[in-house]
Amino acid sequence: MRVAPLDAHDSMTVYESDLPGVGKKHEIDLGDGTRLVVVTHNTGKREVFRRADADADAEKLFELGDDLARTVGTVLEGAYFQPVRSAGMETVLGGDTLLEWFAVPDGATLADTTLREAGVRERTGASVIAVEHGEEVTGNPHPEDEVHAGDTVVVVGTRQQVDAFEAAFLRADGAAGEGGGADHSADGDATDPDSDADA
Amino acid sequence: MAAENGLLALGVLFGVVAAAGAVGRRTGVPAVPLYVLGGVVVGPYVAGAAGLPYVSDSETVTVLAEVGVVLLLFFLGLEFSLDRLLAARRRLSAAAGVDLLVNFPLGVALGLLFGWGPVGAFLLGGVVYVSSSAVITKSLVDLGWIADPEAEPVLGTLVAEDLVVAVYLALASALVLGGDPASAAVRVGVALAFLVVVAALAQFGARPLARALDGSDEDLVLRTMALALVVAGLALAVGASEGVAGFFVGVGVGATPLHDRVAETLAPVRDAVAAVFFAWVGLRTDPALVVAVAGPLAVAAVVTGPAKVLSGAVGGRLYDLPRRRSLRTGLALVARGEFSLVIAALAAASPDPRVAATLPAFAVGYVLVMALAGTLAMSEAARIERLLGVGAD
Repeated sequence: MRVAPLDAHDSMTVYESDLPGVGKKHEIDLGDGTRLVVVTHNTGKREVFRRADADADAEKLFELGDDLARTVGTVLEGAYFQPVRSAGMETVLGGDTLLEWFAVPDGATLADTTLREAGVRERTGASVIAVEHGEEVTGNPHPEDEVHAGDTVVVVGTRQQVDAFEAAFLRADGAAGEGGGADHSADGDATDPDSDADA
Repeated sequence: MAAENGLLALGVLFGVVAAAGAVGRRTGVPAVPLYVLGGVVVGPYVAGAAGLPYVSDSETVTVLAEVGVVLLLFFLGLEFSLDRLLAARRRLSAAAGVDLLVNFPLGVALGLLFGWGPVGAFLLGGVVYVSSSAVITKSLVDLGWIADPEAEPVLGTLVAEDLVVAVYLALASALVLGGDPASAAVRVGVALAFLVVVAALAQFGARPLARALDGSDEDLVLRTMALALVVAGLALAVGASEGVAGFFVGVGVGATPLHDRVAETLAPVRDAVAAVFFAWVGLRTDPALVVAVAGPLAVAAVVTGPAKVLSGAVGGRLYDLPRRRSLRTGLALVARGEFSLVIAALAAASPDPRVAATLPAFAVGYVLVMALAGTLAMSEAARIERLLGVGAD
């Protein structure tokens, strides 16, 4: 009955052991001392247990047939919905401020405009602090610098501001702000009730 | 009067084991002893004695029961992996060694004490030694212990026992026929040589075997059955154990990539014929004989039950488990079942009347008691832990 760590990167360790005549057992360390125990029967049935601490008896949470287990596994894997935007990465700077990277898709409101024309800071409160164009990175871009589809923009702001930026400028269909409550026009006129005077 | 019609006899027998299985599921009693009891009830000694139509251990039923033994051992071999055994050999061989060195000699000693002669004692050693994979695995799953650390020493010990049983059955089936030491030695030699050949083929012939067996599910079932039964039949013809031959065929198939498919497609066949085997054991059991060995039975239960708990607990400690988990390892290993009955069936062929008449009846009684005791020990584990002062807080 070998117990082998399958995956030792970060703090996540999955232990696998044989259960002769039954199937296999995988134990996943949840990091707080509890373990998730998945028993995969030779018949395909999965039983999922939770063990509160090293000494506790495993408590059965649920069991699934083979097909259902695969479907649930696919959902957990994020095949249908990725909570972390695949085009963006974010870093929390502290407090509510984050730094986020966005790819600019074809047809986005931000494509082929300058930062001033788009009115990024006025309309969303977020600031573009760098533009990546292929190998070339423009740090602290000038308001007259142009952004093109395929560029990556690095944005700083609160969660709300960054979300507003994404909604206003990165929709591929150009239907910025639709359904988002705020009415942003594509040419960047200051129709936003929250916007102050031009910078 | 006996049902002379083989078809009817089999139909009734399947009906009885089906009913016994349903009772087992409802009450939580393990299926193996219930199948045996079902056989006893519809057999000549109960239904027959009451003047009712009964099922006899006719040739039809017997052949199917033999197929049951072959497939039981085939599956044992299928799950058996030398690599797995070697990978865990340090802890496992220690735990399995304790299991063997405590329980087998204890059974032999009891056999000598009961005056059953050396062969009888050797057989009793086996009956007492082998825990029941079928009963124990089911309890582990039903109670959720399968997800706890004790599952590993328990299942590991069962796997090691399986290997010992294969060797043991090879010896026992040659010894049980008796005769003068010289012819017995020849028989043992021939039997072992045959099995060595089968084992060698199983170990090194994985690739051609896989090619020969592979096909649709239907092909796979039919070809595997043909292989297992032909090899088992040849074993019988040269005086080797058909069950052990089945074991090594299982080992061979287990080493091929077809392992999982064979297990899946053949399991229902195994379940059906194994149930017939257990019921067949019941058909041949005279309850009066079981009652007649009640004394030895009580002694054996009282001595060998705690001995298994102890040896299992030591095994758990060898797996670095805490005291409570070690105790649970021991409790889990108490149940005896299918292989004690296989040994009993073997004993029935002995020319020694002490062995042929007494031991099978004893084994049936012993399995009934120990399968229930083992299942109970597991479901009442929390109470037993508290009683022994190792309970969880």
